[in-house]
Amino acid sequence: MGLLTLAFAAVALFAWIPLDTQTGIIEKVRRQVAIGDALAPSVAAGFLILGGGLLVPVERNAEHQPRVSLRGLGFTAGLLAIICISFVAMRYSGPLVIWIVNSAQGGDLEYRLLRDTAPWKYIGFFIGGTLLISCAISLVEGQVSRKALFFSVLAVAAMIIIYDVPFDDLLLPPNGDV
Amino acid sequence: MGTLDYILMGIQAVFQGPELFSFLGLSISVTLVMILAGFLTGIAVGATPGLAGPVAMAIALPILISIFGYTPDALLPVMGFLIGIMKGATIGGAVPAILFNTPGTPDAFMTTLDGYPMTQRGKAKKALRVAHFASASGDTFSDIVLIICAPFLALLVEAYLDLPEKTALLILSLSFIAAVIGGSAAKGLISTGLGLLAAYIGTGEDFYPRLTMGQPGLSQGFPIATAVLGVLIIGAILKELEDLWRRRRDSGILLEHRDQGDQRLHRADIRRLLPYIGRSAVIGTAIGALPGIGSTLAATLGYTVGKARYARKKRPDAPEFGKGAAEGIAATEAANSSVSGANLIPVLSLGIPGNAAAVFLILAAESIGGFNPGPSVFRFTSDSVNPELVVAFGLFTAMMIANLLNWTIGGLFMRSMGVMIRIPKQMLLPGVLLLTLTAIYAQETRMEAIWFTMGFGVLGYLMRAVEISPLPFVIAFILGGKLEESARQAFAATGGDPWFLFTNPIAALFMAMALGVILWTARKKKGVT
Amino acid sequence: MKKIFKAGIAALSVAVMATSSMAADWTPPGPIKLMIGFKAGGGADTQARLIAEELEARLGWKFIPEQVTGKGGLNLANALKDQPNDGTAIGLVVTETLGYNMAAANAGMTPKDFTGLTTTAGFQMGVVARTDKGWKTFDDMIAAAKGGQEIRFGAMSPKLADLAYLLGKAQGVEFNIVSVKGGKGVMNGVNAGDLDVGFMAGIQAKGVAAGDLVNLASALSEPLVQSPVAPTFGDLGVEFTADGYFVFVGPAGMPDDAREALSQAIIAVVSDEGTKAGGLINKAFGGETTISGDDLTKLMASDYANAETLLVAASE
Repeated sequence: MGLLTLAFAAVALFAWIPLDTQTGIIEKVRRQVAIGDALAPSVAAGFLILGGGLLVPVERNAEHQPRVSLRGLGFTAGLLAIICISFVAMRYSGPLVIWIVNSAQGGDLEYRLLRDTAPWKYIGFFIGGTLLISCAISLVEGQVSRKALFFSVLAVAAMIIIYDVPFDDLLLPPNGDV
Repeated sequence: MGTLDYILMGIQAVFQGPELFSFLGLSISVTLVMILAGFLTGIAVGATPGLAGPVAMAIALPILISIFGYTPDALLPVMGFLIGIMKGATIGGAVPAILFNTPGTPDAFMTTLDGYPMTQRGKAKKALRVAHFASASGDTFSDIVLIICAPFLALLVEAYLDLPEKTALLILSLSFIAAVIGGSAAKGLISTGLGLLAAYIGTGEDFYPRLTMGQPGLSQGFPIATAVLGVLIIGAILKELEDLWRRRRDSGILLEHRDQGDQRLHRADIRRLLPYIGRSAVIGTAIGALPGIGSTLAATLGYTVGKARYARKKRPDAPEFGKGAAEGIAATEAANSSVSGANLIPVLSLGIPGNAAAVFLILAAESIGGFNPGPSVFRFTSDSVNPELVVAFGLFTAMMIANLLNWTIGGLFMRSMGVMIRIPKQMLLPGVLLLTLTAIYAQETRMEAIWFTMGFGVLGYLMRAVEISPLPFVIAFILGGKLEESARQAFAATGGDPWFLFTNPIAALFMAMALGVILWTARKKKGVT
Repeated sequence: MKKIFKAGIAALSVAVMATSSMAADWTPPGPIKLMIGFKAGGGADTQARLIAEELEARLGWKFIPEQVTGKGGLNLANALKDQPNDGTAIGLVVTETLGYNMAAANAGMTPKDFTGLTTTAGFQMGVVARTDKGWKTFDDMIAAAKGGQEIRFGAMSPKLADLAYLLGKAQGVEFNIVSVKGGKGVMNGVNAGDLDVGFMAGIQAKGVAAGDLVNLASALSEPLVQSPVAPTFGDLGVEFTADGYFVFVGPAGMPDDAREALSQAIIAVVSDEGTKAGGLINKAFGGETTISGDDLTKLMASDYANAETLLVAASE
């Protein structure tokens, strides 16, 4: 059944493509006929339709149907939530800390200008990273343990050392696009 | 510049690169050290379940580029390291497969079938030796084939294939990959279709970035690293973690096995193993040369063929395949190792990646620049030097050096890698997750890159859940741009002929083969296998 | 009258000196984001990174390079124009981005949204073919075309494709214009025989010197340095050229001292052959061409205006 939807998705794409390409049509004329931007994605959609079309009759009879467990999906959703939250934390902890410091000391530091100086640049990555690893481990193990926290601090520190300390040019997240 | 000159220049490039230090008066170039380092890293990574060669390549790439920069000088050290990892990982994967019944890399799965029983009978060391010998032989064999065939193939392509034929060839490769990898033609096609679609977002000739729904973040398209690493690695990690969580209830207990009896590999053993190794090496090389099929299939085929042969010819007291026959290990390991060399044939001569490792080599080449895998590399220019050709021969040299290392210290290092299993997977994998994302960020420096990768990771996870192989996706993603480019050029070059794929005999043949392979695999699956 | 004139000049010079000295004292308030509109590892990308490296060494300014490629430099333009204009964000593109591409794209940007800093080098854009095709001059190729041979012309940008079309029109022939990715793509195509002739912006130098390739024409307003005999587009009846330069730009409204300081610093580096950047430019482009300040602003504006005319001409 979920396989039928695949064939369906392919058809839906046929609507998206023409709406979202500049040339829209398959061939455009510019004193010469040339292939438009919409052709390649249409070919891709063709593959999908072909695949979905073959899937429907064939897989009905196949003896091996993959089983998707709802609990498993629930776990993964939780894991993804952890990851998202960690990265949001990564992005905003740095500026947040600066804001706190500014309020406390009355200074006017700007995160953007400080993003290349230690220790400011490590804040986001450190907080977000440790959060990510320790929470993920805890989720899998089903328990919160100090060992997990210790390991994640160690791992994040190691990553900082590998990526940032020796190299001038590499930026740890989120300092590239602040 | 004749062929010999180029070979010499390639060898020189490896040995006379920037000197790292002097050893006994001989200057050791940085490339040599890189190959060694990559090789050892590869074995370590392959031996760790949950990590695989491509993961190490992914993480190492931004670090390497940062060290060596973006100049063409950086090509040989960086790619030397990656080649080292590639070869190390193929023998590393056998270690936990044999010792603990968990394959370190997916293609080592077949090795568990005979490797673990041998461990249970106290013959672990011997099993490792067999695996090493078979692996190294297969690898060397396919490298030799690679070095001989790649230039010829490239020149053949150049001479006979015009733009429409090249387009048709790409379509054929994609169809072949879709049909053969994974469970069924249909699933492969879906995987391929998704990959192509993803490749076409944000790209295109027109000034408006297509399929982006107006989002400026998408206007550059998806960086290759995000799609490849997302689907292959993050997706695998998500699935692994879910599996771990589910198995947490029934926790596995690690048994201690003592080695007993004769652990050495005798001449007689070797003589018995050789035919299986030979057969598997040929199978592996042939399969590896075809773009898209990887070591897992080769290992399976090698095992199956070996099994059939063995059942007919075995001695009555020797164990069957699946119960601890050394020949079983030999058959699979030789096959999956010989894929690595042959896999580079389509990469170097046509620019079409055959498996994940080749994908990373292309990634490295694209990131550094100055080397565009494809027929133009093998142009033997008469007067001026073709630097890409020198690099290509440098790569060949690097592979042979890695083989040398494999034969000498590979076995030793391999056997000491049993310790890697001790790191609990559930701790390792989240760490690898963060590491991969950080590595991508280091290259792309945009937070969106991380979101893209996670998105692709979710996609990869879902694909695995419904048992659609992610590999066609990745390959289609990489080839998508090339396909469109080549089609556009062919169309324009033939003066706007809409049937350009069919007017040329060779192109029409490729198209027919493409259709044929899909239909044939689809029909085969309809019946009960 | 004279007195007022003299006073005027004095005031002007004071102003100029003030600006320059202000420029000399200017330091960036933070790390400078350097957006590079070219693929990593290519010649243009290397140029940008080397310039940044040299400036870091000389002046201690910190640069953070970032690749922003695609859409002929328009992705970079789009991203750059919204950045702060205090000198902490600049980008390297080619003049074509701000001219033809911006005009053709109709994406709501004009050169007025940007502050031009300086150009670094120009391209030796030629129309190139393999010598073994047997054509020694441009007219040879036209004769072949008129004799019925289909000529595949490789171009690596929409502007060049338009120029190729107009060239054909002016000569009374029709080329099969093939759009290819990058100058390297054209070279590979020409070498492989997939293309008969194509535009190359300088990478043909080695081939021409070795005798494998031949410059049939110059796509610039002046003859090519390496092949001065080859006719220019003007000679061949085309009123547009492929003149172009690498150019550093910043968002609109950059204060004068920041603009001066950045421009002068970059010019100093690229004019100095001893630096890696200067050496690269010398080798690849035969030396630097630095247009900055008001001259650059005028160039950008006229490029944009010309582009509109070109677009109209090519669509007939």
